[in-house]
Amino acid sequence: MSKVYFSTWNGELINNVGKPEEEWEESAYNLPAQYDDHRDSKAFIGWDGVSLFNADVDVIRLAMEYAAQYQEYSEACGRCAPGRWGGRILYDQLDKIARGEGNVQDLDHLKEIGKSMQVTSKCEIGKTVPNPILDLMTHFEDEFMACINEQKPSKHYNDSIGYIAKITAPCTDACPAHVDIPGYIEGVRDLRFDDSLEATRQTMPLAHVCGRVCPHPCEDACRRTNLDEPISIMALKRLGADWETDHGFDFFHPMEKKPDTGKKVAIVGAGPAGLTTAYYLAADGVAVDVYEELPVLGGEVTVGVPEYRMPWDKYLQDIECVRDMGVNFIMNHKVSADDMRRFEKEYDATMIASGTRISKKVYCDNEDPSITGYWGAIDFLDRVNLYEKFDIKLTEAQKKEYAIDADYVDLTGKTVACVGGGFTSMDVVRCSIRAGAKKVVMIYRRDEKTIIRNTTYEEYHEAVEEGVEFYFHSAVAEMKDEEGVLKSLIIDKFELVPDPDGGRPQLVKIEGESYEMEVDYLIPAVSQSADLKFLPEEWEIEKTSWATIKTNGKDYMTSRNGIFASGDCEYGPMTIVNAVGQAKRGASVMSRYVQTGEITLTDDEIMEDHLRKLRVYDKKEKVTGWLPGLPRQHSMVLEADERKYNNKEVNLGFTQEEALSEAERCMRCYYIAMIAT
Amino acid sequence: MDKMINFTIDGISVEAKKGESILTVARKNDIYIPTMCYISKTTPCASCRMCVVEAKDVEGFVLSCNTPPTEGIEITTNSAELENERTNIMKLYDVNHPLECGVCDKSGECDLQNKTLEFGVSQQNFSAREQHRKIENWGLINYDPTLCIMCEKCVHVCNEVIGDDAIDVKFGGYSSTIIPKNNDTLDCTYCGECIAVCPVGALVSSNFQYSANAWELTRVPATCAHCSGGCSLEYETRHLGINGGDSILRVKNNFEYTSLCGAGRFGFDFSNNVLNKDEAAFRKAVEAVKNAKAIRFSSMITNEEAHILELLKDKLDIKLFNEDARKFKEFMSAYSSVSAKKHHSGSLDAVKQCDAAVVIGSRIATDNPALRYALTTASKHNGAKILYAHPVEDALMQNTVTQFIKYEVGTEEGVIALFANAILKDLDLSEDERAFFDELDLGYLEAETNVGDDELALMIKSFNRAAKRVLIVGNDLISHERSSNIAKLAAMIEKYTDFSIIIVPNEVNTLGVSLICNLDKDEEISNVVGYNAKGDFVISSLAGADLAVPALNQQEGTFVSIDNKVLPTNVALSFKGYTLNDIAAAHGIVKETTVDYTKELNTEAGFKNIDFDSLENFLSAHGDDVRGYLLDEVECESNGKLESVSELPEFNGTVIYHSNPVLQFNAYTNITKQLEKDTSLRGSAQFAAAAKISDGDEVEISFGKRSINRKFKLDSELKGTIALNPTFDDVSDASRYKFEKSKIVRVIHE
Repeated sequence: MSKVYFSTWNGELINNVGKPEEEWEESAYNLPAQYDDHRDSKAFIGWDGVSLFNADVDVIRLAMEYAAQYQEYSEACGRCAPGRWGGRILYDQLDKIARGEGNVQDLDHLKEIGKSMQVTSKCEIGKTVPNPILDLMTHFEDEFMACINEQKPSKHYNDSIGYIAKITAPCTDACPAHVDIPGYIEGVRDLRFDDSLEATRQTMPLAHVCGRVCPHPCEDACRRTNLDEPISIMALKRLGADWETDHGFDFFHPMEKKPDTGKKVAIVGAGPAGLTTAYYLAADGVAVDVYEELPVLGGEVTVGVPEYRMPWDKYLQDIECVRDMGVNFIMNHKVSADDMRRFEKEYDATMIASGTRISKKVYCDNEDPSITGYWGAIDFLDRVNLYEKFDIKLTEAQKKEYAIDADYVDLTGKTVACVGGGFTSMDVVRCSIRAGAKKVVMIYRRDEKTIIRNTTYEEYHEAVEEGVEFYFHSAVAEMKDEEGVLKSLIIDKFELVPDPDGGRPQLVKIEGESYEMEVDYLIPAVSQSADLKFLPEEWEIEKTSWATIKTNGKDYMTSRNGIFASGDCEYGPMTIVNAVGQAKRGASVMSRYVQTGEITLTDDEIMEDHLRKLRVYDKKEKVTGWLPGLPRQHSMVLEADERKYNNKEVNLGFTQEEALSEAERCMRCYYIAMIAT
Repeated sequence: MDKMINFTIDGISVEAKKGESILTVARKNDIYIPTMCYISKTTPCASCRMCVVEAKDVEGFVLSCNTPPTEGIEITTNSAELENERTNIMKLYDVNHPLECGVCDKSGECDLQNKTLEFGVSQQNFSAREQHRKIENWGLINYDPTLCIMCEKCVHVCNEVIGDDAIDVKFGGYSSTIIPKNNDTLDCTYCGECIAVCPVGALVSSNFQYSANAWELTRVPATCAHCSGGCSLEYETRHLGINGGDSILRVKNNFEYTSLCGAGRFGFDFSNNVLNKDEAAFRKAVEAVKNAKAIRFSSMITNEEAHILELLKDKLDIKLFNEDARKFKEFMSAYSSVSAKKHHSGSLDAVKQCDAAVVIGSRIATDNPALRYALTTASKHNGAKILYAHPVEDALMQNTVTQFIKYEVGTEEGVIALFANAILKDLDLSEDERAFFDELDLGYLEAETNVGDDELALMIKSFNRAAKRVLIVGNDLISHERSSNIAKLAAMIEKYTDFSIIIVPNEVNTLGVSLICNLDKDEEISNVVGYNAKGDFVISSLAGADLAVPALNQQEGTFVSIDNKVLPTNVALSFKGYTLNDIAAAHGIVKETTVDYTKELNTEAGFKNIDFDSLENFLSAHGDDVRGYLLDEVECESNGKLESVSELPEFNGTVIYHSNPVLQFNAYTNITKQLEKDTSLRGSAQFAAAAKISDGDEVEISFGKRSINRKFKLDSELKGTIALNPTFDDVSDASRYKFEKSKIVRVIHE
C-alpha cells in the first residue's frame, strides 16, 4: 500500500486531485514513495503508468523528462524507426509545450506519434513510453492547455529537480544478477556474439557456467509465458561464451579496466561469489588477492558440479576471464582467524565468500559420522570431481575411510542411498551411477512435483533415465551398522494428510510400513552449512538464525566495518546466480568503500531495489503484437546409454538454427522507469 | 524432412518450410509487403517496422520479417490501419532527411525516395531539432550520417556475410549512427558491400561520388575477372563527351543475394585502351606464332581463347605452356582416379550451407574472397565448425575459424594423410586402402607435421554433430611436389564420407583452361610466344606488349568458376585492336567472333553445345542464379592407387610465402586506380629477427634463381618465422609452391 496523490499504475486509477490529504485513497502497489533514506520521491513514472506523491509535481516536465530519458540516455534505444524518431518527436513536442511555446496541434501530434510507437516499436520501451505520457495528457489536460493558452513555461520548468531513470525488463528484474537478458538475446539474434557476451558480462562474469547450470529464475518471469512458453533464456547465454572460446578470441570484457586506485582487497574463496567480486573490483582498478583453500579454483562449481553438467574446460574459461582482468589467486591456502586479522590490517576491505561446505545431517538414529559408509555429499563430490577433472587420486587414508580399493570413487557392485531433493543430491546420485553403483536410490520426503520444482524437469528426468530410483514420501529412520560398517537403513514411509481446517497438508508417518534396506553408503545431501570458524571470535560478527553471516542484503557489509560477505556463506546454500548477484553488488559497494570509507548505493542500485520490490513481471498482463504458438526450442541431450557411464556433457546446447529460432521469440521487454526527487 | 506449415496470406494458401518467416513466404509467392531494412542474405535487422501485418485473432500487429508462421494462421498484409502505420513510419523516416536528392548519388535508385513516393508523404508534419553531423571519409567509402536511416543493413552484411565485422551501431536514439567498430577509422578489407546494401546515399563510393546520376549509366552484366569465385557483377558505363569513348564508372552487384569483394567492386579499370588497329604489330604477331615452339599463357583468359589456343596447337604443332592450369589438371586427374568423377563435388552454396568445413593449404581470405564469404555465412548462420589448417595463421579468418591447425611448411601430404586417417577410421575401405592407412607411421607424421593427436581428436569431436561437411583444398596442395598422392587422399575422403570437396582454382579461369587445353610442361626454351604471359614475343592485354589484345572487361566469352559453372561475361568497353581470333584466322582457323567457339567447347570435359547468345546471365527475383550452365558430370575410370607417404621435407630459416594482400590478385588488379598497392614484404617479428632486418628496411629477397627488392613491413598479426611476399606486381610464375626458402639481405644505400 502506498500513499499517492494520483496513480495509474498497473491499470489502477487513484485520483485524489482536489481532495484534502487525509482523505487520499491509497494505491494497492508498493510504489517507491521514499527514494532513499534522505530523499522523498515526488513522482514515479514507468511503463505501466504514473504515480504522483504530491500535488505540486510539474506533470508536463515529468512527461518531457521521461521522453528525454528514453531518447537521450536509453542505450537500448535507436534500433527502430518509430522509436528513434518518435521518441525524439515526443521529447521535442513536450519540451515545446513545457517551455510555453506549444500549440494545440502539438498535442494531436503527440497522440498520433504515441499511438504509432505503441503499435509498431521494436521493443517494449518504445511501445510503453507513450503510456504514462498519454495518461498525464488525459488526466492533466488542464495543465497542458494552460501552458499552451497562456504560452507560459510549466510550473517548475526552470527548477532543479532530480530525475533518476533505470532500464529494466521482467527477466532482468527476476535474475538475481540482473543480467541484461534482452541484450544478450539480441546479440544472438543479430549474430553478434561478442555483443551478446559483453551484455552478459556487465553483471555476470560466469557466462559459461550460467549458460549451463543456472536454475534460471528469469524464465519464471518471462513475458513470453503470457503468450505461449517462456524463452529458453539460460541456454542462449552459452552462445556468446562458446563463440569466444571456439574462436580463441581474447576475452571480451564489457568495460575497460580502470587505472590502479592503489587500494587492495582480500577475498576468501574462489567460488562464484569470490570470482565475481574479484572481477568487478579488478575492473575498478582495485588490486585483488583471492585466497582459496582447495588446490583448484572455482569453488563448488568445480568440486561440486559434475563434469557431465559443467565441463571443466568451459568453466576454466570463465575463471581465466576473471584472471585476465588482473586478479591474483592464492591457492592451497586455508584462511585462519589470524589471516583475517592480518587482512584487516593489510587490505582496505575483505570479502568473505567461503560458501557452505559442511553437509548437514539427516537426523536419523545411530547417525554416527564415523561409521564407514556414511559419506557427506560435499566430501563425496569433492572426491569424484577432483579425480575426474584433475586426476587427483584418493589417498590411502581416504581409501580406508571410504572402503574403496581403487584410486578413485569406484562404486562397482555397491548400493548407494542419498537423502536430499536438491541439486546437490541429484549430482550425488548421477555421479554414483557413473561410478558404477549397482543400485542408486534417492530418498525424499516429498513428492515428484516438489523435487522437480526444487531442481529442474530435465535434471530429474535425466536421473530417472540413467537408472536412479526415487523413493518419495520416505525418510531414513535409522542407520544399522556391524562393527562400524554400514549395513542397512530403516526407512519410514509417509503420506500427505490434508488439514481438516484447510491449512497446509501434513506429512504423517504410515505406521507399519517401515522397512529395512541393505545399503553400502548413505550420502546425506539434505543441505549444507557454513564453516565460519576462521572468523576471529573477538570480532563478534553477527550471524543469521541459520548460522550464516548477517548483512542487510543490500550492501553486503557485515556487522564489522570493512568486512563484507556474499554468496552461500551469507545467504545459505543457494544458487550460483544468487551468489553472483550478491557479489556483484558487494563489489560495487566495496569499490566505493575502499575510496571513501562510506557505504553507499548508486542510483542505479537504489532503482534496482525499488523495482525488485515493485516486481516488473506481471503474469496477468495481456501481450499483444506477437504471434502466439511458436514452440520453445529444446537442445539435444545425449541418450541415457551414451552418457550414463562417462562424463560426456549431457546437454549438447542449441544448434545455431535452434538458437536463432529461440532468440527470435524474445520480445525485448525493456522498460524504463523514472523517479523524480 | 521437416513438415511444411500451411497458412494463408491475404486469403491465398501458402506453405512455409521450417525457419522461413512470413515475409519470406510472402515474397516467394509474389505477395508484396513493404520493407526498408530487410535484406535476404542476412538475419532480419527488424528496425524499420514497415513489414507489420495482421494475424487473425491476434491483437496488435505482427512483424513479418522475423516471425515464422504457425499452422493455419490467417495473415493480412494490407488494411487501412496497416497502411496508416506504414505511412506514419515513412513520415518519421522523412523527418529532417536532407533534401539533396538533386545531387545525391542514390537519387533514382533510392529506397527512401521510392517509398516516400509510394506512401505519398508530401510534407513534414512533425518537427525535431536538426543535428549537425560530420561526413566521414573512410578511404574508398564515405559516410554521411545525416542521410543515414539506420536500417542496419550494412552492419549485418559486414558481420554475417563478409566477416570483417568492422562497423557497428552507436546507440543513442535520434543521434544513433554507424561507426567503425572498436576503432577511430574504418579498418576492413574494403569489400564495399556496405555501399551496395545502403538503401540511401549514406554510404557511397568516394571515387564515384558526384560523378554521375544512376539513370545515365549503362549496365553490362558480367562475371568478375579477378578470381575463380565467378561472382556476378554489372559494369556501369557512360559515354564521356562527344569524342570520348565509354568509361566504366562503377561496379554494382545484386546485393540482395550475392556479394562482391573490393577487387571486383573497385578494381574495374584494367581495360587495355588502344586507339586503332596496329597492322604492323599484328603481322609480326602472326609470324611469331607461326614460328613459335610454344605459346605460354596465363589462366586469365576466356574458355574461347583457350579453345583457340588449343586449335593453334593442333594446327601449328606447337606446345602450350601454362603451369598453373597444368598442375591443376594433374591434380584433378589424380583426384578423379579415386573419386571416379571429373569435377569436384562442392560449390560455394554447399559451403554456405555447411555446418563443418576443413580448409587446407590456402590463405583463403585473400586467395578467394567468395569462399571466405561463404565460410562466414556458414559460420554465422549455421554455427559451422571451421578447421583451418595452414602454416600461417590469418587474423582475417579468426571470426570464422573454430580450430586452427598449424602444420609445418612442406608437410601437406602428411597432414592430409593424418586427416584422412582420422576421418576414415571406422569406415569400410577396400583392403588396399585399409592397408595404406594401417601402414602409416602416425608417430612420424605427427612429429614432422606438428599436428597433434589431440588436435585430430578435437576435429573429430567438433564435427560429430555436423550433417553437411565440406573439404576445401587450396593451392599449396595443388602445387605441391606430391600433389598427385595428396589429390588421391582428398578424393578418399569424398569417396567414403558425406564430405563434398572443393579444389580452389588459382586464377579466374584455371579450371576452364585445364579442361580445354592439352598442356605441356613448361621448359625454358626460346622462341616462345607469350599470351598474357612472358615470352620472346608478347601478345597481351597488359601494357608493354608487342601486340595489344583486349582485357577481360572488353571481351565476350565464358569462364568456368569454382562452382563448375560456365559463366558468360560481356563487353563493358569496346576494343579497337586485334584479338586472338584474328591471329587464328590468319592461320586458317576462321570464325567470325571468338564466342562462336562457345558451343564447340569440349563436351568430353563436361561442356555443353550451347550458343553464347543462348546463355542466360541474371539472378531471378528470388535469387536463383540462372547464369550460364553447370558442367555435365563426367564419369572417370577409378584406378588410382594410393602411394605411401614420402619423406616429409623440412623448411628451415627465413621462409617466405607468396601471398597477396587484400584486394590484390594479379597484374590487372595492380593497374587499377582505387585498389591499394602495398608491395612490401610483410613479416613477423620472428622473421625480422632471423633475417636481421627491421620495419621499414629495404631488403633483397632471393629465392630459387630469382631475387627482388622490397620494403619490409613488420606485421604484428603474423606468427612464426614467416613473411608474405606479394605476387600481384611481379610476373613470376604464380603456380609454383608458394612457400619458399629465401635469403634476405638488407640493402644499404651509400
